[in-house]
Amino acid sequence: MKGEFILDRNHLSYWLRQMRKSRELIGPLMDGGKDIVFKSVDKIHELVLDCPASLPSPKEFLFPQYESMLRFTPLHLPLTKGGQGGVSLSEKAIEDLSDKTKRVIFGVRSCDISALSLMDKFYIEGHKDPYYARRRENTLFISIVCNNPDPTCFCIGLGTGPYLEKGFDIQMTDLGDRYFVQIGSHEGAKTVKAMSFLFRRPQKTDYEDQYEVFLSSKARFHKRINLEGIRQMILEEKVKDDFWQWVAGRCFECGGCVYDCPLCTCFTVTDRTYSEGIERVRLWDTCMFKGFTRMAGGVLPNEKMVKRTKRWYYHKLIYYPESLGGFGCVGCGRCTITCPGKIDMASIAARLKGLVLNEEEE
Amino acid sequence: MKGNLKNNKKNGNIYIPLNGRIEEIIQLTSDVRLFKAKTEIPIDYKPGQFFMISVWGSGEIPISVTSLPEKNGMPELCIRKTGVVTTAIHSLQTGQFVGLRGPYGNGFPMDISKGRDVVIVAGGIGIAPLRPLIQQFIKKPNETGKVTLLYGSRTPDEIIFRDEVEDWKKSGITVVLTVDKGNDNWNGNIGLVTGFWPEVRTNFKNAVAYICGPEVMIKAAMRDLFFLGMPDDRIITTLESHMKCGVGKCGHCYAGPKYICTDGPVFSYKEIKEQSILK
Ligand SMILES: Cc1cc2nc3c(=O)[nH]c(=O)nc-3n(C[C@H](O)[C@H](O)[C@H](O)COP(=O)(O)OP(=O)(O)OC[C@H]3O[C@@H](n4cnc5c(N)ncnc54)[C@H](O)[C@@H]3O)c2cc1C
Ligand code: SF4
Ligand code: SF4
Ligand code: FES
Repeated sequence: MKGEFILDRNHLSYWLRQMRKSRELIGPLMDGGKDIVFKSVDKIHELVLDCPASLPSPKEFLFPQYESMLRFTPLHLPLTKGGQGGVSLSEKAIEDLSDKTKRVIFGVRSCDISALSLMDKFYIEGHKDPYYARRRENTLFISIVCNNPDPTCFCIGLGTGPYLEKGFDIQMTDLGDRYFVQIGSHEGAKTVKAMSFLFRRPQKTDYEDQYEVFLSSKARFHKRINLEGIRQMILEEKVKDDFWQWVAGRCFECGGCVYDCPLCTCFTVTDRTYSEGIERVRLWDTCMFKGFTRMAGGVLPNEKMVKRTKRWYYHKLIYYPESLGGFGCVGCGRCTITCPGKIDMASIAARLKGLVLNEEEE
Repeated sequence: MKGNLKNNKKNGNIYIPLNGRIEEIIQLTSDVRLFKAKTEIPIDYKPGQFFMISVWGSGEIPISVTSLPEKNGMPELCIRKTGVVTTAIHSLQTGQFVGLRGPYGNGFPMDISKGRDVVIVAGGIGIAPLRPLIQQFIKKPNETGKVTLLYGSRTPDEIIFRDEVEDWKKSGITVVLTVDKGNDNWNGNIGLVTGFWPEVRTNFKNAVAYICGPEVMIKAAMRDLFFLGMPDDRIITTLESHMKCGVGKCGHCYAGPKYICTDGPVFSYKEIKEQSILK
């Protein structure tokens, strides 16, 4: 089975409906008439396809904001809080709560798919994180080429969008009355094959129209950002501490950038006691918070805000490429929308570029 | 009880702890206890590695192994009561259980001490990860040169493993004990460990050091030893940090580009300088 097909626009909802029989269907929906949120889809006609970026990113289906990891059920002695629980244990005392629901996430953007390849490396390589890995195995992503990038998008300078050459399960390009469908993974192929009667082979005009969409999409970007240039500036120590001081001064420590970013991965773990037992849960956490590195006795190794904002940028621009082979930013523009301090990735990059230009003029 | 380790492998979940039954508790000082925990399957580990120890309902924390692995599978844990989880552990009795995940981390490099003099510098609870190292050197005396332990505590009553220190001396370890503040029964050294380099009669240039203690002490000791001529790749320390996972995922233990849980917790002074790990 070759990897390229055409799907008539009228067949889309039928296809999704069929897929929903074996998987939970997730897609972009309008929330409160304003924001785009990825949610379980009830009415397929409510899917918003040509929409601005979702907030937060669809990473929450692989790494949710709140996730129960394990349940501990004490069997004999009564449970008391604060670890007094002297308990006898049996094999069944600890239950693994990892989510194995089969899902298809439809309408994901290219940048968010690009983020997955680094997320996979991070969570699966080395010690394999079973919660992420199991969700990942059971989730199929159908991405859509961005015909209309948002003014905040800058994937184009990073090679993470608006369309992808690889790394997707199924990539669709909207050609008006039909979709150009590309298959990039085994699971994607299986899904299309199961409904092969809906698809036909692309013809010359289909290829031409797809190419046309790619070109016009690329031409529509407002932002051209060269993160490699910024990385070089940092490595060459052209960015001085007073710059990071300025950045820190503007940070509200709200954590918005971290929560919305498809490539931020940090979490905290805590135990919650319920009548059925104790659950060990994990929640999104952020390095922007002072307490993130808090140690016993209240020692705070990163008490100064400047250390934390600077680290966020170093992590994304210097450490990520070293350890995972790509920037910790795919140019989705969400932090630009979220950050009340206007110290998001795109603004910082623009300002740093300006800084150098100004210095050169002087 | 069937083996949990097998079970762990079966469902491939690294976050499921083994059950460790507490077999013995020894009160070492007013706030430090030694726990011997038996797991169903003996676990192998190296000096310098750590376990994530949990009490269900209270949470999970990193604790170093403080003994050499033994056939009966009873890792010893030396734990100072300082907060929520450590207090919960201290409230446990023998026969009760802790959760145990690991071992994690790189452990101390042992090959660099072959045939060399060794200087071990400990501050307070910092003796805990260094104890298996001392036990190892005692077990194989021919593999190293002279071994000196420089061990500082706040007060004489807070000296952990005080009885064992006497045994170590008998086994050929040179021990320099010091306290910040003495009492009526104390006629030993008073002052910071870093004031006692002259007592370590060793050729520093050819020796190796293993250090653990409060961060200020670690920094001062590393710097001093470097100035005394010890090469920075033979000045070894183990670092502490906030840890929530122990396996390089949660992000809490970051230090510069490194994660202390997986890249460490043992680092050389060379790495610490090059990677800006301690700032
Ligand atoms: C590799 C390694 C080895 C170690 N080995 C030993 C050892 O052998 N012996 C020993 O005694 N100690 C050891 N420690 C130190 C030990 O892990 C800490 O003392 C322990 O984590 C304290 O936990 P606690 O819950 O009792 O203290 P707390 O001060 O109550 O809390 C410490 C942790 O609890 C969480 N926490 C609790 N309350 C808050 C809050 N309000 N806000 C944010 N976070 C909170 C955080 O995770 C924090 O780091 C080691 C540490 C590391 C990193
Ligand atoms: S850093 Fe900002 S623009 Fe880059 S991927 Fe994260 S949220 Fe998107
Ligand atoms: S969104 Fe902006 S203000 Fe909020 S934590 Fe991130 S950088 Fe700081
Ligand atoms: S303890 Fe979680 S990353 Fe190191």
